[in-house]
Amino acid sequence: MGDTSTTGTPQARAGAPVARCWSCGEEQPPAPLCRKCESVLPLSADADHYQVFGLPRRLSLQPDELAQRYYDLSRRLHPDTHGSGPAEAREASMTNTAALTRAYRTLRDPLARARYWLELHGEKLGDDNRVPGELAALVFEVQEKLEDLRRASGPARAARAAEVRAELEALEARDGELHERMDTNFRQWDTAHEAPALLRELRSILSRRAYLATLIRDVRAALEAAPGRAEPRP
Amino acid sequence: MDRVFGIDLGTTNSLIAYLDGETPRAIPDPGTGSPLLPSIASFQPDGEVLVGDAARQRAAEAPLETIASVKRFMGLGAADVRDEDRRRYPIASSRGPVVRFAIHGREVSPPEISALFLTHLRRRAEEALGEEVKRVVITVPAYFNDSQRQATRDAGRLAGLEVLRLVNEPTAAALAYGLDKRKEGLVAVYDLGGGTFDISILRIRDGIFEVLSTNGDTRLGGDDMDRALAALLDLGDDPDPRVVRAALIAAERAKIELSTHDSARLRVEVPEIGFQRERAVTREELEQAIGGVVERTLEPCRRALKDSGLTAREIDEVVLVGGATRVPMVRRKVEEFFGRVPHTELDPDQVVALGAGVQAGVLSGRRKDVLLLDVVPLSLGIETVGGVMERIIDRNTTIPTAARQLFTTFMDDQTAVDFSVYQGERELVKDNRKLAHFTLRGLEALPAGVPRLEVTFLVDANGILNVTARDLRTGREQSIDVKPSYGLTDEEVEAMLEASFDFAEEDVSARLLIEARNEGDGILRATRRALPKAEPAERAAIEAAIARLEEAMRATDHNRIRDLVEELNQASMPLAQRIMDESIKEALEHRSVDEVV
Repeated sequence: MGDTSTTGTPQARAGAPVARCWSCGEEQPPAPLCRKCESVLPLSADADHYQVFGLPRRLSLQPDELAQRYYDLSRRLHPDTHGSGPAEAREASMTNTAALTRAYRTLRDPLARARYWLELHGEKLGDDNRVPGELAALVFEVQEKLEDLRRASGPARAARAAEVRAELEALEARDGELHERMDTNFRQWDTAHEAPALLRELRSILSRRAYLATLIRDVRAALEAAPGRAEPRP
Repeated sequence: MDRVFGIDLGTTNSLIAYLDGETPRAIPDPGTGSPLLPSIASFQPDGEVLVGDAARQRAAEAPLETIASVKRFMGLGAADVRDEDRRRYPIASSRGPVVRFAIHGREVSPPEISALFLTHLRRRAEEALGEEVKRVVITVPAYFNDSQRQATRDAGRLAGLEVLRLVNEPTAAALAYGLDKRKEGLVAVYDLGGGTFDISILRIRDGIFEVLSTNGDTRLGGDDMDRALAALLDLGDDPDPRVVRAALIAAERAKIELSTHDSARLRVEVPEIGFQRERAVTREELEQAIGGVVERTLEPCRRALKDSGLTAREIDEVVLVGGATRVPMVRRKVEEFFGRVPHTELDPDQVVALGAGVQAGVLSGRRKDVLLLDVVPLSLGIETVGGVMERIIDRNTTIPTAARQLFTTFMDDQTAVDFSVYQGERELVKDNRKLAHFTLRGLEALPAGVPRLEVTFLVDANGILNVTARDLRTGREQSIDVKPSYGLTDEEVEAMLEASFDFAEEDVSARLLIEARNEGDGILRATRRALPKAEPAERAAIEAAIARLEEAMRATDHNRIRDLVEELNQASMPLAQRIMDESIKEALEHRSVDEVV
């Protein structure tokens, strides 16, 4: 007989987690709603984001489809919808909606989704702040221009600011390229079988994009602090 | 299904509303015909309290016994009170986690005062609809922090209400507006009330009201405009409180008049001390005086837009909420900022209450086509090395939301782990607001780094933080000691419930029960008297109905008694008809039964 963990999901003998509906008793794979009576079932703490959404694990996701699913599930899971229901429904709706919120935030943003994908495959982006090799030259250039801007005064400032803006564009273009590479990588997961290679590539792209994101943010901040600001984004 | 009511507990006015079919309705005061209850309480020396218009009338003559705009003090500690307020309000000198007012030798907290308004509104609704008011939804400014929300919940508890949900004011307004206009798209709600300012950006689609971002200032509102205008009168260095209060009242009046006229008079008169001052004020002078206040509302608007990822141009509709938005300068500035004319069709004083009424309907299950997805307004984090704020939950995250952190010990045999939670956007915790200190006690003595304690931070649909912990090694729930930085303790609330203010009115449900029992008595006596004349066919049914009613009379559910009175009435109707036909008139009416006896 399986033992019941604190999350209330008995382990079936086969090893895959199984949930039992508190309302109708149906046993089923973990899901936010009972497939038989549609009562809200509390998801366990280790349910992954795809399980919360009831979606198969895929790296490419259509943003509109995801949003629509999010709204549909919100309607059925949100505590407000169960305001007058039994205590089990209210508690489960709270847990599940919190899980849904988190899952949506992660899956909605391609970068966050990609990082999550790495985690699901046992990988993690390191915390190291070393400059990725191929960006080294660009980064050096940008740092130099930023230094020039900080030291400049008077009319020279405007000129230095313009140069920094040019660097910013170069950085954003680079990030754009990496974004395209990332999209391709996403699509390849559906068809390719070389997971380790794809994983390595994804990891490398993400770490470079993370580095660029920080750098772009710093450059933008430096430009805002300087007079002769950049045009407001359209 | 029990009805749920929606309450707008405002700085200047409070209202109660409910969903009548499809339409939300604000319940009017039977005397004035207006749904607005001025959020003012005046404490009389004999211990009784006046609320509403009566309290407002007493404000000028007893300013230190009359508390207005108490919402500005909700969730504050004694140390948070500003100097200018110390002069105008009778702040008790005791330092502590909850600010209190000292009146007639007694210390009163803001939640207790707010509870007076809630109780008054509750009674108004009970009398208007003839049913008990128990479950409510109360609105709060979107930018209210955790302590301010807790204080609002405390007020509900003190008023004997079950607060099902706290709803953010701009979201409630969007709900009322969105349903009224059947609008979809991106909406900005600019809510400038008496004491608080909120700006919320929402996406309305298919009945889902999704807040994208929210920002504001919980210490900015129409009251600040009044103050700026009153400053035009030179009142001296340390004016008498009565003069100050009279000046604010005059300023408010002038401000309102200047919305429709080019000039007005500021007249302050306190005959008791022979004070009189008067001057004319033009709209131009008003705008100069309040310009700073209006300007201050624009920065939160910029931040909210930035957080939502939208520009002002991308907003489809702008909605104005709150009495202070009637000031022409405010409308002009908002129109300039968003590049479109803001909507003002719905009464800015009522729209929040109406939205609360709709949400009350949703929670009671009466309305199923609408869903509010709101957000946490301020980031939450814990203190780490160097006094740095480590964010656990970002501002503008949709709620309910949860985040988990793993804690462990740093020394061998350490049996307790603690951490503090802060709310705010600054880098260092000292610049943010400390919510509470948590301690996980009774840990098993183990080598350093071995314990694995998972702490879950859950912000619920009210925007309030709930913290739980689990020992991952045993899978068991770990108890936590919580020491909140602000707010009333449970013991304090209990004590306040005991010593509640003298309203001199009985409990409504007790009264309803008495009435129901009287009705039951009457019909039972009359029916028993008539029973001998019953025909065999109907006798069994009548006796069964009698038995059921008698049983209900022994219990306390007045609704059930009423239902069974009706049942008995129906069962004995043919009998009654026949008896009446035999010309013993009104045998089954209470009065005639008494006479016959």
